[in-house]
Amino acid sequence: METKPAASVPVPNGAQSEYTIEMLNITKRFPGIIANDNITLQLRKGEIHALLGENGAGKSTLMSVLFGLYQPEEGIIKKDGKVVKIDNPNDANDLGIGMVHQHFKLVEVFSVLDNIIMGVEPNKFGFLQKAEAKKKVIELSERYGLQVDPDAKIEDITVGMQQRTEILKMLYRDNEILIFDEPTAVLTPQEIAELMQIMKNLKAEGKSILFISHKLDEIMEVADRCTVLRKGKYIGTVNIAETTKEELSRMMVGRNVNFHVEKGEPHIGEEILRIENMTVASKVHKNNAVKNVSLNVHAGEIVCIAGIDGNGQSEFVYGLTGLEPLVSGKITMCGKDITKMPIRKRNIGGMSHIPEDRHKHGLVLDYSLEYNLVLERYFEPEFTNKAGFLKKKNIREYANRLIEQFDIRSGQGAITTARSMSGGNQQKAIVAREIDKNPELLVAVQPTRGLDVGAIEGVHKQLIAQRDAGKAVLLVSLELDEVMDVPDRILVMYEGEIVGELDPKQTTQEELGLYMAGAKRDEVVVK
Amino acid sequence: MKKILKNKALQSILAALLCIIVGVLVGYIVLLLIEPKGANAAIAGVLKNFMARKSTGLRLKELGNTLVKTMPLILCSLSVLFAYKVGLFNIGAAGQYVVGAGACLYCALALGLPWYVCLLAAIVAGALLAGISGLLKAYCNVNEVISCIMLNWISLYAVNTLLAPFAPVGKKDTYEIAQINVSALLPRLGLDKLFNGNTKVTIALPITIILAILIWILLEKTKLGYELRATGLNKNAAKYCGMKEKRNIILTMLIAGALSGAAAGLYFLSGFKEWDINQSSVPGMGFNGIAGAFLGALNPIGSIFSSFFIQHITDGGALNLNTQSYPPQIADLISAIIIYLCGFVLFFKTTLNRLVDRSEERKLQKQKAIAEKAEGGKQ
Amino acid sequence: MDLLIQYTLVFTSVLTLVALGGCFSEHSGVINIGLEGIMVIGALGGSLVLKYMSVTTPAIWVVLATVGVAIAAGVIYSLLLGVASITFKADQTLVGTAMNMLGVAAATVVVKSVNIAETMGSNNSPKVIYSAVKDKLLIVQGTEYSWFLIFALVLLIASYIVLYKTKFGLRLQACGEHPQAAASVGINVLKMRYAGVMISGALGGLGGIVYITAGVSQWSFDVGVAGFGFLSLAVMIFGQWKPVRIVLAALLFGLFRALGSVYTGFDFLNNLNIPKSVYNMLPYIVSLIVLALTSKRSRAPKAEGIPYDKGMR
Repeated sequence: METKPAASVPVPNGAQSEYTIEMLNITKRFPGIIANDNITLQLRKGEIHALLGENGAGKSTLMSVLFGLYQPEEGIIKKDGKVVKIDNPNDANDLGIGMVHQHFKLVEVFSVLDNIIMGVEPNKFGFLQKAEAKKKVIELSERYGLQVDPDAKIEDITVGMQQRTEILKMLYRDNEILIFDEPTAVLTPQEIAELMQIMKNLKAEGKSILFISHKLDEIMEVADRCTVLRKGKYIGTVNIAETTKEELSRMMVGRNVNFHVEKGEPHIGEEILRIENMTVASKVHKNNAVKNVSLNVHAGEIVCIAGIDGNGQSEFVYGLTGLEPLVSGKITMCGKDITKMPIRKRNIGGMSHIPEDRHKHGLVLDYSLEYNLVLERYFEPEFTNKAGFLKKKNIREYANRLIEQFDIRSGQGAITTARSMSGGNQQKAIVAREIDKNPELLVAVQPTRGLDVGAIEGVHKQLIAQRDAGKAVLLVSLELDEVMDVPDRILVMYEGEIVGELDPKQTTQEELGLYMAGAKRDEVVVK
Repeated sequence: MKKILKNKALQSILAALLCIIVGVLVGYIVLLLIEPKGANAAIAGVLKNFMARKSTGLRLKELGNTLVKTMPLILCSLSVLFAYKVGLFNIGAAGQYVVGAGACLYCALALGLPWYVCLLAAIVAGALLAGISGLLKAYCNVNEVISCIMLNWISLYAVNTLLAPFAPVGKKDTYEIAQINVSALLPRLGLDKLFNGNTKVTIALPITIILAILIWILLEKTKLGYELRATGLNKNAAKYCGMKEKRNIILTMLIAGALSGAAAGLYFLSGFKEWDINQSSVPGMGFNGIAGAFLGALNPIGSIFSSFFIQHITDGGALNLNTQSYPPQIADLISAIIIYLCGFVLFFKTTLNRLVDRSEERKLQKQKAIAEKAEGGKQ
Repeated sequence: MDLLIQYTLVFTSVLTLVALGGCFSEHSGVINIGLEGIMVIGALGGSLVLKYMSVTTPAIWVVLATVGVAIAAGVIYSLLLGVASITFKADQTLVGTAMNMLGVAAATVVVKSVNIAETMGSNNSPKVIYSAVKDKLLIVQGTEYSWFLIFALVLLIASYIVLYKTKFGLRLQACGEHPQAAASVGINVLKMRYAGVMISGALGGLGGIVYITAGVSQWSFDVGVAGFGFLSLAVMIFGQWKPVRIVLAALLFGLFRALGSVYTGFDFLNNLNIPKSVYNMLPYIVSLIVLALTSKRSRAPKAEGIPYDKGMR
C-alpha cells in the first residue's frame, strides 16, 4: 500500500486546505472481519456530505474511528490539512468534532441542561454554575430554531426533542464538524423535514456536516456530495447534483435493485384474528400506550401496522402475544377467546411471533443454534420423552433440516452458539422457527431490521409465501418502503390508536406520512 | 495444542488450579508474616490434612471426618450453582442450611422421629425458606441476594431459640442425638468399616454423590433443565416462548433450598456435631458452598472435587496448625481468596481465547505473506 | 428512654454512613455487596489504633487517628472490588461475597496473630480490647454521644452536595445511569467508578469503627459486624439511592436495632417476656417486609452491576 508522507504539504501562510476533515486509507479490522478496508472520506468546509451504505457496510465503524472510539490499523486522519491523532472522544471534541449518535447518548433521569453541559460543566471549584450555561443553551436554541425546555427531564420529552438536545450538545461545545448517525430513523416525516431544515441552517452558519444514512430520498434532498461504502469497501464519492437515486442505490448494493416486491392477488379467507377495544398500559409513562384498538386479520392477507417508532406498536404486540396483560379488550383467534390465555397456549393454538428485538426476546444467545430452533417446541413429544428427558438426536435432525431449508449459515452448524452468528443469520433462524411451526397467524415485528438488501428480499418472500399458503400475517413495520410494498392492507397507528386504514395500491407515501404524523385521521370500522 | 487450549472443560480446570495456587500462595505469605520459622511446616500441614497422620488407620479415620464434612459442602455448592444456572445468586444457602439443621434436630430431639422423617423435615424447611426468597423475587421484585441475607440472620436467631430447650443446662451445645434418639442417626450400611471404624461415616456419602449426578442430569439432559437454563440466560426469551418465568424462579429456589436443607440434615443426623445455641454468626457452610460452586466451574461434578479440596484445607488448618502460633482461620482466608479469584475466571478464559486466536491469525498472515512472496517470485 | 435515643442515633449514623457508601458505589454503576467486609476491615483498622493509643494522647488525636486509619483501611480494601469488577469485569455479587468472607477471615487472623504474639501463645482469642481510650471518642461522657455522630451529619450533608451540586456528582451519576453516554462526552467511566467504589470504602470503613465502638469497649472479630453492612444495603434500597431518604430509612432501622440493645430498660417490654432473639431478628424482619412493599417501584441506577465495556454501544 502506497501512503503519502505523514507531514503532507505544508499549508501556505493563511491559506486553508480545501478539506476540513480527511480520512485517508483507513483500515479497521475486527476478529474475523475487515470492517473498513482502505476507505477514504474527505469532508469539505461548509458542505453536507452523506455517507451511504447498507447495514454492515462499515459506516458506523468509520465514524467511530473519526470520533476516537476505535483506533484504525492503517490510514491517517487530517484536520485542516494537518495529520491528527484521535485516541478518544475528548480528542475529537478538541478538534471540534461532535456526533449525534444513532442511539442517543442521553442520561434519562437528567435534565436537558445537565445532558448538554455534561463533560464541559461550567463550575467554580467543582461546584456547578448552571445559570450561565442555561443562558447559552437558550441563546443557541433560538439562533438555530431548536426548541427545547432546558429543565425538562429527558425521559419526559419526545424523541424529536431528545434529538435536538443532542444537536445542542454539539453546538454548546462550539463543534465545527457535526456527524449525524442515521438521525431520521426515529422521526416522523414532519420532524424529518424540520431536521433537514436545521441541517441546512447549520450549513449556512458554516458548519460542516457528515450525514450517515441509507435513505436515498433524504440524501438527495439535503446533501452536496455522497460517499458510498459497500461491505467495508470504498465504492466512490459523487456530487449529488450530478447523480440519480438509481445510481446511488446501484453503488450501495452492487446491482440493480428491484424495490418492488412481486406478489399476486390475495385470496382472502376466514377471519383469523379479531381484536376488539384493546387497551394496554405503558411501562414508561402513566397513560395507556395502546388505546381502544380494534382490528381484524383474515387468512390469506398481510395486514401491516404502520407508524413512527414509539406510537404504541410494541405494546400492541406485547398485548397481542401475551407478553403484557391487557387493561381491557378482547382478542379472538380462530374463533377462540385468547384474551387471558398464557403465551404457551397461544403458540400451540397457532400464533407465531417474530419479535421486534431478536436479542432480547427472540434468542437465548448462549444456547446453541439447535436449542434455539426448538425454543417453542422442545416440550413436544418429538423432542421430549415421557420421563422429561430431551431427545437430543431428534433435536439435531430437526435443526439440520431447518438449517438446510432456510439456508442458515453458521460456523459449526447446529451446535454453533447463537451469539457468534451474524445478525442476518440469527434473524433467519427466528424466521425459520416461527414459520416452520406452521402457524395460523404470523405476527412479524420489524422482521427485516438490520438486514441487508438480499436478506430483506428473502424475508419478504417468506411472508408472502405464508400469505399465499392461506395464513394470516400481521406485519408491524417502521420502514416506509416495506409498508408500501408488502401488505395488502395498511393500518396506521398514532399515539396508541388506529387512525387510518389505507390500501397500499392507492395511497402514496405522502398520504401515509400525514396519517403517521397524526395530521390526518379517519374513523376505522372493523367489519 | 491450541485446540486443547480452547477446550472449555480444560480451561475451567486450568482456571481452578490457578485460583488454588494463588490462594495457597497468599496463605503461605500470611503464615510467613505471622511467624516465618514454622511457616513451611504450617502450610504443609494445611495441605496435607489427614495425610499428616502417622498410621494408615488414623489417616483413614481423619479422611472419614473430612468426607463427612465435605458432603454437606457439596450439597451447598450444588444449591448455589443450581440457582446460579437459573440466574439467581443463592447467598441464602447458609440460612437454608440453618433452618434445615433446626428442623431435623427438632424432629430428632423433641419429637423422637426416625432419621428419614428428620431428613425430610430438613429438606422441606430449607426449601420453604428459599421459597420465600423466590416468591419475593417473582412477585415483589425483591433482589434475592438481599432477601436471602435477611433470612440468613432471621433463621439463625429463630433456630437458636427453637433449639435452646434441648441443650443441657449451662451448656451451649444441644444434646447428642445418640443419647436421646438413636433411630434418628443415619444408617451406616458398613461404610464406617471402610474408614477404620469412623462411625460418623454414613449413607450421607452415597446419597450426596447420587444427588450431584442427578443435578447434573437434571440440568443437562432434561426438559426442565433446558427451561431453567434458558430462564437464567435470557428471562425475556424464556417468557417470550411461553416458559413460566415466575414459576421457574420459585421452583429453582425450592430445589436449591432443598439441597441446602439436605446438607444440614445429612450432616447433623450423622451425629458428627451438635447445634451451638449461642452462636452469633451464620455457619460458614453455606458461604463456603459459593466457593465450592465457583471453584468447581459451576459444574455439579466439578463441585464434588472443589468442595473436597476446600474442606480438606479447612480441616488441615484445624487439625495441623499449632494454635499457639497460627490461627486456624488461615484456611478460611485461603478459601475466601479462592472465591475472590474465581471472579477473574471469565477474564482468564477470554484472554486465553484471544491469545490463541491472535497467534492463529498471525500464523495465517505469515502463511499468506509467504504464499504472496512465492507468487511474486514466480513473476 | 434516653438510652434508646442514644442507641438509635448511633445505629442510625452507622446505617446512614454505610448506606451512603453503597449509594456512591451504585451511582457509579458498581453494586457493592462487600460493604459488610469493608466495615469489618475499617473496624479492624480503627480498633487497633484505639488499642495502641496511649491514655495520655489528647482526645482530638485519638479521634482523628482512629477515623483516619478506619477510612484508609476501608478505601484500600474496597480496591479489591474496584480492581476485580471494574478493571477485570468480574461478577460484582461474587466478588462482594468473597470480600465479606475475606474480611472476617482476615480480621480474625490478624487479631488472633496479634494476641498470640503479645502473649506468647497463651491468648489466641479474636478479641480486640480498647477500653482504655474509648471514652476519648465521646463528646458527653457517660453517654453514647461520640464525635462520630458529628462526622456522620457532616458527611451526610457533604454527600448531598457532592451528588447534586458538583461536577463530580453529575459525572458519577452519569456513569451509573448510562456509561456510554458519559464516555461519549469524554468522561473516563472506569476512573469515576473507581472513585465511587473508593468513596464507598471510606464511608464503609468509617461506619465499621462507629459500629464496634457503640456501647462496647471490646470486639470479637470472628462475628464480623453481624450483618450491619447488609442492613445498610437494605436502607439504601429503601432510601431509593437518595441521601435524604436514606437518613429517614436509617432512622427507622436504627430504632429497631436499638430496641434489641436496650429493651431490658423498658418495663413494659420486659413484661412482654419476648425472647432476646426476637429483638435481634426485628431489624431484619422489618427490612424484609419494607423491601417487599417498596421494591416494585425501585429506581436503581440503570447500569449498576453491568461491567463497562468500551465496545458496547
